[in-house]
Amino acid sequence: MDMNPAAVHDMLYALRDPAGLPFFPWAFWGVGILTFAMHFFAVAVMIGGAGVALYGVRQDNPYWRKLGYAMADVSKIAVSVAIVLGVAPLLAVQVYYDPMWYTSNVLSAYWVITFVLALIVAYSLHYVFYFRNKKREGTPKSLWSLGGALLGYLLVGFIMHSLGYQTLSPEKWLQWYAPNGVVDNSGTKLHDFNVIRYVFFILLSVPVIGTYLMAYATYWSTRKDQDAAYLEFAFTLGRKLAMVGAAITTTLAIVYLATLPEKLHAFQTSLWAALWVIGALLPALVAWRAGKAGYRCGYRPFIVAFVGMLLIAIAREMLRYYAVIPYYNFMDYKVNLDWFTTDVFLFTFLVLGFSTLGYLLTVVWKAGKTEGVYEASPIMHVWARFNIGLMVFWTAVYFLLMTIRSF
Amino acid sequence: MELISLYPTWYDPAMGSGYWIALIATIHVLFSHTSVGAAIFFAYLVNKAYREDRPELLEFVKKYGIFLLIFSYVMGSITGPGIWYSTTVGSPKGISALIHSFVWKWATEWVFFVIEVVGVYLVIYLVGKVDKRTHTYIAFIFAAASYATMMLILGILSFMMWPGSPEWFEKGGTLYSFFGQNTFAQLMIRTGFAMAVTAVVGSIIASAFKDDALKDEVLRKLAGFGLLGVSIMIGTYFWYVQTVPANALEVMHNRMPSWFAPAIIATFGLMLLYFIVALFNTRLLTPVIAGAMVVVITVLGLFPEEITRESMRKPYVAGQYVYSNQIIARDVPGMGIKAELPKVEKYGILKVHPFLPDNLRTVTAENKLAVGKQIAVVMCSNCHQVTKTEGIRPLTDYFGGETNVDRIKRYLKGTVVAGNIMYMPRIPLKEAELDALATYIAHLNGDNAKTLAAK
Ligand code: HEC
Ligand code: HEM
Repeated sequence: MDMNPAAVHDMLYALRDPAGLPFFPWAFWGVGILTFAMHFFAVAVMIGGAGVALYGVRQDNPYWRKLGYAMADVSKIAVSVAIVLGVAPLLAVQVYYDPMWYTSNVLSAYWVITFVLALIVAYSLHYVFYFRNKKREGTPKSLWSLGGALLGYLLVGFIMHSLGYQTLSPEKWLQWYAPNGVVDNSGTKLHDFNVIRYVFFILLSVPVIGTYLMAYATYWSTRKDQDAAYLEFAFTLGRKLAMVGAAITTTLAIVYLATLPEKLHAFQTSLWAALWVIGALLPALVAWRAGKAGYRCGYRPFIVAFVGMLLIAIAREMLRYYAVIPYYNFMDYKVNLDWFTTDVFLFTFLVLGFSTLGYLLTVVWKAGKTEGVYEASPIMHVWARFNIGLMVFWTAVYFLLMTIRSF
Repeated sequence: MELISLYPTWYDPAMGSGYWIALIATIHVLFSHTSVGAAIFFAYLVNKAYREDRPELLEFVKKYGIFLLIFSYVMGSITGPGIWYSTTVGSPKGISALIHSFVWKWATEWVFFVIEVVGVYLVIYLVGKVDKRTHTYIAFIFAAASYATMMLILGILSFMMWPGSPEWFEKGGTLYSFFGQNTFAQLMIRTGFAMAVTAVVGSIIASAFKDDALKDEVLRKLAGFGLLGVSIMIGTYFWYVQTVPANALEVMHNRMPSWFAPAIIATFGLMLLYFIVALFNTRLLTPVIAGAMVVVITVLGLFPEEITRESMRKPYVAGQYVYSNQIIARDVPGMGIKAELPKVEKYGILKVHPFLPDNLRTVTAENKLAVGKQIAVVMCSNCHQVTKTEGIRPLTDYFGGETNVDRIKRYLKGTVVAGNIMYMPRIPLKEAELDALATYIAHLNGDNAKTLAAK
């Protein structure tokens, strides 16, 4: 039997961390949404890339094969990116929804541990494929390793999905934890999941990798040593994947939203549900429009696909808001305003982080476009020294504070 | 109803959640420190390679870099969230306390972490593809970001043991919780360790070099780097010890398994020996010996160190205010935190725990055993295995097979409930709750006796 709303309310507010937050809850909420969109975009590239690779390297068509090996590498790097970017929403969600997040995790503790082990195994398998196929041509060796990696990622994703999904139903937790009054401390069960929603999120990788391929073709098109027919091939494939993929995910989104449980019926008719569907549809629209431009279509499809992901991320978090609002509102979290730590973060993120990452990514971008050795301009060198200066400054202030507080 | 902030409890009868955390943490400490040390060493090598026009040093960066990528970044970046996830399920209130105080610190670390991960790919893959100056700059940025991640995470880890400054309890805020002498000393020890372990891991690659001259040179450099690291560690260890509260020192010296101290001292000795040998005769080192050394450091050095750190903060898991069994034990006026212990004392744990089915909230003759087990799981299982006789400090060890409920009760009252055992939380239990717990313990002892007899 579900707990009554008043009892759920009492439970959730009791669980909330008494230390409060060092800044206002909406800020963490915003960070959570933005970084989840980034995390999931990388996840989509990684799964989509592994899928294209798995199919491509087995084909006799040299373009397919070349693309397959290229995407195996892209996918491998995307795993790193997905993990790094996953840390941020992981931090955020347990700041504003700590009662939900911790309960869900503890109730499925073995799966949480399995998540870590499965990710280690899957990523290692990906490296096995990489080292077995260092030449990146010919018949693939140890293809099972790539297949195993992809399966591992899908398992990891399923666990993630379930842990997130369980946070939506606090009224059911006690029944999961102590079915019929008998407590189960084992943490061996995933108590709730939604196959349609899971498949929706996984298949987002199809339109995303599609727009990625379109961007890939554009990027290499400025290099004379690249084969135009190959780039055209990548573009056409990408465009097709983007359109077909988005059609499928849009349908899935509609089915998922239409079959929401009763307590979420208000969400179905809200603006946010529409946002979810539009987010899924965007890649198809932009890919369709890019048809005329051909493989020099530019980066717009990829960027728009990210915007679509952001809309989905917003709607996804709003759905959770609707699901728990009868009991819990994160906006009334206690705030212990701490300007020191907030300012250090803002400086590090907005000044040091943007500048330094901007510099590093500009270098990769330019180096990739250059045949032979990339010679940076004097401005680039100034930018580099500026970044190093910021880091030295940051470190100096840290040690200054440490010294003052220590002696 | 008056509830306190307790989550469901995950109980792993095989290993105990504590060992899961220690296992993942040990691996992570190895990877993460290697990556920090290697980042600094790379910056030095890249700089030297260009200054003295020595492309073969870049070759080392590339080779070791790929290895490093897999060894520390792949495993480090998974086991990092891995520790986080395992503490989440093993000690949700502990991690919650850290997260809520330090969320911006963690977010700041994340910025450096992103720079670091982008940096490591660039340092390796851009060898020969960008001009020398740009490559050198990137290596510096990578090293600085890598070190910054350690500077940040360290303050948080250190808060797990003690707040940076005691004023934090009154004043609150990260300026007091983060910075302090103990944190400073720990940062220095870890810096030294990062250097030493990098030197050992790096020698796995370097000792396999075909070119003898290069092998000699790189191994010597690594050995020098490692010796410097070990010296920093030993030097700052004595400082560190002075910043540790007396009762924690007592745990460190007297309460740990007897093989820990000799094992850690032996690890230091072996590292010194290893580096000195490398300085004088690099031919003696092979990848197998270097690999064995990494295993020695992990098993004899890191594992005991992690367990000791875990024990030294007992009975707390975080900030000297959250007990291991997740109950908030004292007021922290600076943060507006109120102790939960008085509520437990007043109403009883069965009434204030949010996650108990109603049929277990009042002790009856029928549910006594089930209630007793839940009390043991909730209040004790963070530090004691409460079902079997193996694992971490099995509860049954302390009762000499006693099956008389009244005698167990009396003993518990004098020790656990009174709260006069140094490393254990005070655990106020109502009479009926105590009765249930004692019944459960007596039952366990009875079962054990039966299995023993059957054997
Ligand atoms: C914070 C971790 C922690 C928790 C929680 C905890 N203990 Fe302990 N307990 C310890 C440690 C550490 C020792 C000392 C072990 C040793 O020295 O071998 C100990 C020792 C004991 C002893 C032996 C005391 C003696 O006289 O030496 C008993 C009995 C005991 N615990 C019972 C319990 C019971 C019952 C609970 C739950 C109600 C509990 N403990 C919860 C950490 C804990
Ligand atoms: C590499 C394999 C991974 C895959 C395939 C994956 C996939 C997913 C999926 C499918 C979801 C759930 C979508 C939903 O139904 O709501 C999700 C959410 C999430 N993932 Fe990942 N993920 C991966 C790795 C990680 C890692 C390593 C982290 C942390 C470091 C992480 C952090 C998160 C977070 C915080 C959420 C949101 C949870 C919530 O808000 O409830 N992910 N991911």
